[in-house]
Order: sequence, then C-alpha cells, then structure tokens
Amino acid sequence: MRDTVLLLAMNGLIWGLIIALIALGLSVIFGLLDIINIAHGDFFMVGTVLAWFSLSATGNFWIGFIVAPVIGFVIGAIIQRLVIQPIHGAAALSIVATFGLSLILQETVRITFGATPRRMLAPIQGTVPLFGIDYEIYRLFAAGIALVALAGFFLFLQHTKLGIWMRAVRHDRETAVAMGIPAQRVYVMTFGVGFALAAFGGAVAAPITTVDFRGGVDVLPFCFMAVIIGGLGNLAGTVAAAVLLAFLEGLVQSVADPTVARISSLVLMSAVLLLRPQGLFKGFTR
Amino acid sequence: MLSLRDVHVHIGKLHILQGVNLEVRPGESAALLGRNGVGKTTTLRAIMGLVSKSSGAIRFDEFDLSNYPAHKIPGKGIGYVPQGRGIFPNLSVLENLNIGVTGKRDTEREDYVFTCFPRLKERLKQAGNTLSGGEQQMLAIARCLMMRPKLIILDEPTEGIMPRLVSQIRREIYRIGQSGVSILLVEQNVETALKLCPNVFLMEKGAIVYSGAAHDLKGQPEIVRRYLGLSQ
Repeated sequence: MRDTVLLLAMNGLIWGLIIALIALGLSVIFGLLDIINIAHGDFFMVGTVLAWFSLSATGNFWIGFIVAPVIGFVIGAIIQRLVIQPIHGAAALSIVATFGLSLILQETVRITFGATPRRMLAPIQGTVPLFGIDYEIYRLFAAGIALVALAGFFLFLQHTKLGIWMRAVRHDRETAVAMGIPAQRVYVMTFGVGFALAAFGGAVAAPITTVDFRGGVDVLPFCFMAVIIGGLGNLAGTVAAAVLLAFLEGLVQSVADPTVARISSLVLMSAVLLLRPQGLFKGFTR
Repeated sequence: MLSLRDVHVHIGKLHILQGVNLEVRPGESAALLGRNGVGKTTTLRAIMGLVSKSSGAIRFDEFDLSNYPAHKIPGKGIGYVPQGRGIFPNLSVLENLNIGVTGKRDTEREDYVFTCFPRLKERLKQAGNTLSGGEQQMLAIARCLMMRPKLIILDEPTEGIMPRLVSQIRREIYRIGQSGVSILLVEQNVETALKLCPNVFLMEKGAIVYSGAAHDLKGQPEIVRRYLGLSQ
C-alpha cells in the first residue's frame, strides 16, 4: 500500500510539472490576450504527435524536444495572426473561435496520424530505487527537464527584451505602445510561446502518455483548474497549483479510482472559487 | 517641428476634436490649457497615434505621423508622459526606465537622467508600484528622456503629487526645456504652465480658441476667465 501511494504521488508530482508547462502557456495567453483558449489542450496533443513524427522520421527521440516547440511556436504565431487577431477584444467570441480551432487541430491530426492511439518508448529505459520503490528513470528525467524549462521561461520573462515587453503589454497596452513597444508583434510572439510551451510539454510527456488525436481533451480542464486555483494571470501561482493538483490527484488515485481523483480536484477548485476567488496564490508573487 | 492642421477625432458618436490647429517649433515650450473635458488629452493621444483621427494632418519634422503605427512614433523623437504616469507596476524602476530604449543599454543616458532625478538611482531594483506618486512621475519623465526625444509631451505631470515634489518636477521640466528639447505641456495648474511655457494654446469644445504668448495671456483676464474659469 505504501509503495502504491508513493508511486502514484510521485507520478502525480511529475505529471504536475509537465502540466505546469502547459498551464503556464494557457495563463500567459489569457493574461496578455484575454483569450479563453479552448484549443490549448490540443497544443499539447500536437506536441506529442510532433515528437512521434520526429522519432519515426529520424529514429532520434531527442530531436522532438526541438521540433515540437519550434513548430508549435510557428503554428501558434500563425494562429494568432489569422484567428485571434481579427477577434481581438471579444473574449466570448474567442471561446467559439478556439473551440473551432480545437476541432481543426484534432481532425488534422486524425487524418494525418490516424485515430489509433500509439505509445512511444521512453528513450531512457530502466528504473532506479527511490524511497524504497523502483522508479522509472525517464519520469525523473522528464521532471528535471520540465523544471529546467519552467525556470528558463521565468528567466526569459525577467531578463529578455521580449519578456519585459510581454509583462509591460500585459499590464498596460496603450502606455506600452506609447513607449515604442510593438504590441501586436508581442501578441503574436506570446501566442507562439504559449503554443511552444504546451508542445514542448507534449514532447516531454509523449513516452509517459498515449499519443492520440484526442490526447488534449483531458489535459485542458486540468490546465484551467491550475490557472483558476493559481490565480488568473498569476504565472508562478499557476505552476504551483498544477503541481499541487496533480500531486493530490495522484494521492487520491492510490485509494480511489481516477474519476474520484478528478472530482476531488474539482471540489478543490470550487472551494477556491468560493473562498478565495482571486486564487490560492494571489499576492504570492508579483 | 510639430504641427496639427484641422485635426478631427470622433470617439464613438462623440465629436471630440473639432479641427485642432497647433504648432510647436524646435526648442519651444508650449502649454495646452483648457477646462476638463475640452479635448486636451485626446489631442495628445492623437499626436501619439493612440486614437485615430477622422481627418486633418499631424506632422512632426518631415514625417506625416498618420503614415506610422503608434509604436513607431516615439522612434521619430516624441516622448510621452501620459496622464496618471503610466508606470508599469510589475516592472522594476530600471526596467521601466529602459522600456523604450532600442538596442543596447544606454548607461551614458542613464547617468544623465540620474543627475536629473537622483532619487531614482537609489530605487533601481524596486517595483514601479512601490514608488510614491512623485517618484513615479520622475520615473515617467526619466523614461521619456532615455529615448533622447526632440519633443516631450506631458499630460498633467504635477497632478496628485506632493507639493514638496511638485517644485522639483517643475524645475526638471524647465531644465529639459532649457536643454533644447521642445515641450508640449497639458497642465491644470495654470500658473505652473505659464511659468514653464512661453507659448500658450487655449482649448474649448475640441478646438483651439486662443494661441499666443504666455505674458500676453496674463494681460487678458477676460480670456482667462472665460476659457479657464479662473480670475486673476
């Protein structure tokens, strides 16, 4: 029993770190563009599929770590220009537009990749003893990679011109423009970065989940819960909430089935909305 | 340098600017005065491309500003200090200061703005929202100076500032004007505006109704009373 609890809690924690990457993209897009992006789970799914194609085409798993975010960034930038920009400022319309986008992405993948879910072998095989259980090395590696990517993203926000512009435009678009910041270009880049983060999360997660054209459907509500619990637009809060939620779901799954675990997350989110609608971590970071 | 010819702006169904004509020459300081709601801020926003004009022409040096997207206008040499200061609260003082600087960090220029506002140098790593109103205003002006503008547009720079800091801000605006940078100032404090700016434009109902020298205006109490609601 102890081993099961530990295993599922560890799995939850690691899944939480990967989800944090995806939810971070969702939060960045929401914070800057006021877009409720229903297609965000599919960005993750596209990442898993790109990782699968990269492996199939080259025989090298690691290439997917570059291909997925780069192609994700390009597709994201194109989507922002063609789909999001024309409806800028209409939040309700963005739900309809991104829902349509979600269907387009899923069907495109179904046509090209097929409808059968596939599994990818982890590039690092084997286990290591950890807290008395044998734990998959790749999962530990995925956790490390996710942590490095999260840290890299926060460094990017703090220390690059584009990151500073993103923070400025997010707060006050008009003043940012009056200071010479090309806000429209920042929007395009932000959507691209959001897609790239989710796609990279997909590439990292591909060997520990199934590669499936509907693979994003389950990820999306989880990301939304993380964004809401972490505080809308609070990036560090989103990361903390994603890890907390996945860890809790892992714990609950060790004594109940996954549906009960998901219900427990929804109960937590409802409690946060009722008792602390500004989010669990609002004010935790600037 | 800056000229507005018959500029009209509509916002929704409202006809806010109804043919504004205004000119600021190189090295000149001009004040744009008027009661609340006559269109002063809209005029400044139209110059910066933040609202679209319905008709008319806005030129700066050899550039027709209508041909440029708003974010390109600061690069032509126009600095803007918006009403309410527009400091990014989530950015540090240093990040705010350099937000409009293109290319490498300009430490020489930083040193210059720190001589104007030494207080900012002590607060470089602080977030913008931890500064007092007066310090935020200093930062807003310093941020403009970092872009080496030829013209600075200030929208009520002393509004809501502690009196102790108002005189410092006023002194720096005067120094900026003396350094050869042109100034277009919107200011509720008429006395301050007339002290800082030798030229004055009075606005009423979206149009300029008086333009002339500040010292001439002082001799026309009827105009001051009618358009500014003040008695001298």
